[in-house]
Amino acid sequence: MTTDVLDTAPPRSVPPAAPPPRRRSGRFRGASINLLALPALLLFAVFTIYPLISGVAISFSDWDGYSADSNPVGGANYLRLFTDDTFRAVLITTFIYGIGSTVVQQVLGLGLALALDGKLAGRGVARAIIYLPVLVSPIVMGTFYYLLFQYNTGAFNDVVVAFGGERQAWLSTQGGGVTIILAVNSIQFVGTSMIIYLAGLQGIAPEYIEAAILDGANAGQRFRHVVLPLLQPAFATSVVLNLIGGLKLFDVIQVLTGGGPGTSTSSVSTLIGRTYFDAQSAGYSAAMGVALFFIIAVLTILANGALNRRRLEQQ
Amino acid sequence: MKSRSLAATLAASTALVLAGSLSACSGGSGTDGKAVLEFQTAQSVDSPVYAQLEAITAAFEEENPDVDIDLKTGADDYEPQMKVRLAARNAPDIWATHGWSLLRYSQFLAPLQDEPWAENFDDVLEPVMKNDSGEFFALPVTTSASGLIYNRTVLEDAGVDPAGLTSWDALADAAEAVKANGVVPFSLAGSKDGSAGNLVDWIAPGGFTDDELAKMSDGEFQEDAYADLLGVLADMKTDGWTNVDYTSATGDDMARSLAEGTSAFALSTNALVTLAWTYNPDADLSYMPVPPLDGGDPYLIGGEDTAFGVAKDGDNVEIAKEYLAFLAQPENASALAAAVGNPPGLTNAEPDLGALTDPFEQYVASGTVPLEPFFDRVYLPNGMWDSVVTTADGVLAAQSTPAEGAAKMAGDFDTLFSQSSN
Amino acid sequence: MNAVLSRRAVGLAVGAFVLLVVVIQLLPFYVALTTSLKPKTDLSSQWSFPLSEPFWGNFVTAVTDGGILRAMGNSVLVASVSTVLVCVIGAFAAYPLARRPTAYNRGILAINVGLMMVPALSILVPLYSMLAQMGALNTYWGVILVMVATSLPISIFLYASFMRSLPISVEEAAMIDGANIFQTLWLVVIPMLKPVTATVGILTGVGVWNEYALSGYILTSPETRTIAPAIASFFSMQSSNLPAAAAASLLAVIPVVIAYLFLQKYFVRGLVGAEK
Repeated sequence: MTTDVLDTAPPRSVPPAAPPPRRRSGRFRGASINLLALPALLLFAVFTIYPLISGVAISFSDWDGYSADSNPVGGANYLRLFTDDTFRAVLITTFIYGIGSTVVQQVLGLGLALALDGKLAGRGVARAIIYLPVLVSPIVMGTFYYLLFQYNTGAFNDVVVAFGGERQAWLSTQGGGVTIILAVNSIQFVGTSMIIYLAGLQGIAPEYIEAAILDGANAGQRFRHVVLPLLQPAFATSVVLNLIGGLKLFDVIQVLTGGGPGTSTSSVSTLIGRTYFDAQSAGYSAAMGVALFFIIAVLTILANGALNRRRLEQQ
Repeated sequence: MKSRSLAATLAASTALVLAGSLSACSGGSGTDGKAVLEFQTAQSVDSPVYAQLEAITAAFEEENPDVDIDLKTGADDYEPQMKVRLAARNAPDIWATHGWSLLRYSQFLAPLQDEPWAENFDDVLEPVMKNDSGEFFALPVTTSASGLIYNRTVLEDAGVDPAGLTSWDALADAAEAVKANGVVPFSLAGSKDGSAGNLVDWIAPGGFTDDELAKMSDGEFQEDAYADLLGVLADMKTDGWTNVDYTSATGDDMARSLAEGTSAFALSTNALVTLAWTYNPDADLSYMPVPPLDGGDPYLIGGEDTAFGVAKDGDNVEIAKEYLAFLAQPENASALAAAVGNPPGLTNAEPDLGALTDPFEQYVASGTVPLEPFFDRVYLPNGMWDSVVTTADGVLAAQSTPAEGAAKMAGDFDTLFSQSSN
Repeated sequence: MNAVLSRRAVGLAVGAFVLLVVVIQLLPFYVALTTSLKPKTDLSSQWSFPLSEPFWGNFVTAVTDGGILRAMGNSVLVASVSTVLVCVIGAFAAYPLARRPTAYNRGILAINVGLMMVPALSILVPLYSMLAQMGALNTYWGVILVMVATSLPISIFLYASFMRSLPISVEEAAMIDGANIFQTLWLVVIPMLKPVTATVGILTGVGVWNEYALSGYILTSPETRTIAPAIASFFSMQSSNLPAAAAASLLAVIPVVIAYLFLQKYFVRGLVGAEK
């Protein structure tokens, strides 16, 4: 493994002979190029950061979310978070969704990418079909899946009954609900991971594989020592996207279980909605949102740091 | 220097693109001098009520060519939508109050007791729609007069005579008979439709003494009595009276189950019957007064149903009131009530209950059955509805005990009661 | 001999695995299709197609009552304008962040990652209030600005990661040859961004096409509303019309599928960087 190989992936770009990149250069020190980021920063300031800060202000009040009455309550909403068993339980479920779907999507996505990178008959059609659910909104896909899992009329229970079994209330236990929600989210977005890995695989210059074959490496060794390291950037992109998607999960839960039984299949996002609109505790709901924001940010930064460290170590 | 000016040019050109897309497509209306009023109906786009509103509105606009009533459909997130709009001080001119004209929306609505049609306001609605000073805040299109919904075919198959169900014990026997016949006694929907809360509202009138109710009104929550009430729900669950897919079932699943005869009873508003008939128009469905827990007289549950209020801060309050008066004309009010499928909320409108005419004549029109108000609207402070749903849901899903549920209710009651009284 | 056999076995296993996933992905669409072709009163199994002839009433409802064609047009407009803006603004913004790693720019990048995590509900009410004051509700420009602002963080993240992996030497060489920074960007950097632009474009386009959490509030009038709010109008508090919603959803998928099939070969190739 040479340094520039790792640095030039993701997609194939420069030949291995290119000089090692230098990160800093006098030409790029002029602060004026920062102006290029100005339109984006303006949009952020107006449409996300300002509303976000207003939201933080709400979290220090007892506002009910719609009326004109609102009293400051200091940090009470944040203190309440620490003693709220429901919030803690829902946070754990949220991590199960986030980490679970990320793992499933990496395994399945990479597996599918490897399978469909080869000369499989009909691979174009297969790729398109596997990617198809990504194109449909989660709320609609969730509704389609709900049709499959329904108790009295669902397609799956028809099969169970046809084989002499008893109807199953698939979504009515915590384990069943969480598993199905996790599976539905993973399978819907497995196409994204697949495409990212496919691109990563096709970006690996054939010379590397050939060189490894000349060195006498078998298929397993080639995969472990050549392909996997070169997929590192694809892996990072895919993990970050899936992790965010899983941790912010909302629509699928609303459609499949509504968060029940009790709150046992709720994610923090659905709990935030419920606390805001149903329980009319906008202040507490906003505090949950702030907490979620920090928890996810810290996690992602840690994950990102770990991935980067591995990259550096391998160099 | 060069690079700075170039970067600036780039930034400026991006801003231009943005500005272009800004000005290229500005929506809005009211440019031709017409008064445009927005009416949030909370109805789905293909519902009979929406169709009726479209027809009546067209007639109104014909009479008033300077007015444009912009009808909006509502999705199942209508409540969040309305709350966000109210929070942003961007309320529609007219909106559907779905049972909350007094407790939640009255602070934003114009009082309507001086309108010409107010003399026809049905007194039945007084406890839930009028405040202490006699003000009310919405045009009542219908009243909800609901009871225990049942599928007659299922009951007959199990050898149960609906006419005999006048006490909770008789209902218990019927439920066991139905269960022995392989049918689920009660259909409930745990997924976001609040049917667990309806269950509480429906059986609560038989669960408290007058003394206990008076104390609740004075701010003293009756935790033991409420725990007993939740105990009834816990028994329904453990005795196998409820559907096993309770957690994930939707209102549509409930309706379809009743229509197909895979369940026998439901405690819900009559809209459920109308919905069930969209799946199976031949289902033999009806309703009866609720058999009371405490051995008193069976009763119906009544209260605000479909009703429309006028934003007090709107630009066209007077036109909006005229429009409501138009809706309140007897033939329009009758047609709307018929589309909803419930008794009208105005005394001069003609009821057309369709296939539910028989129970209406027998129980409602005859005036022989007491009509109890929605328990949570009258005896609990504003904001408690979610606590009612959550605690009942916890018990029905076997996630918490009745005592735990009642304790949570007591806590929320104390917090919200002090908030609403100051 | 053995090697050939085992290779064939592996091939079969791979084929079976892919086939299984394909079947799983098609199942919900199959059920949606059978549901949409039956009237609400047809209570037969979801596996079966209507016994006599297909019932087109749900599709008629989707088009006439639901205004799904208009909504598709709106979605095409909103999604395409947003996607173009996100690609342009995102690429510009990422360039200094990737090439000039000062403390200030690292801070911006960290905030950018933070913004990727913001749940829509956390900004909904203040954002809605602001849009109401600006008169931006039920307008294309209002929803486009919000979609661009909320899609940008991921786009900047992807562009910046990608740019950092590009060798800076090419840009330096161009500068030494006398190109100014604009020429360098235009002639050197932007052509190299094709692959990541394909990713950003697809993610943004699909994301905006299906967005509901914010656009469900911003767009309530039939004239401007996009696909997701239009489909939601079949679910009311009282009842829902699943067959019509399924029909509307299937119609809404068609243009994206066509676009995808058209772009598929450019898509993967673009991701990979086809220019050899």
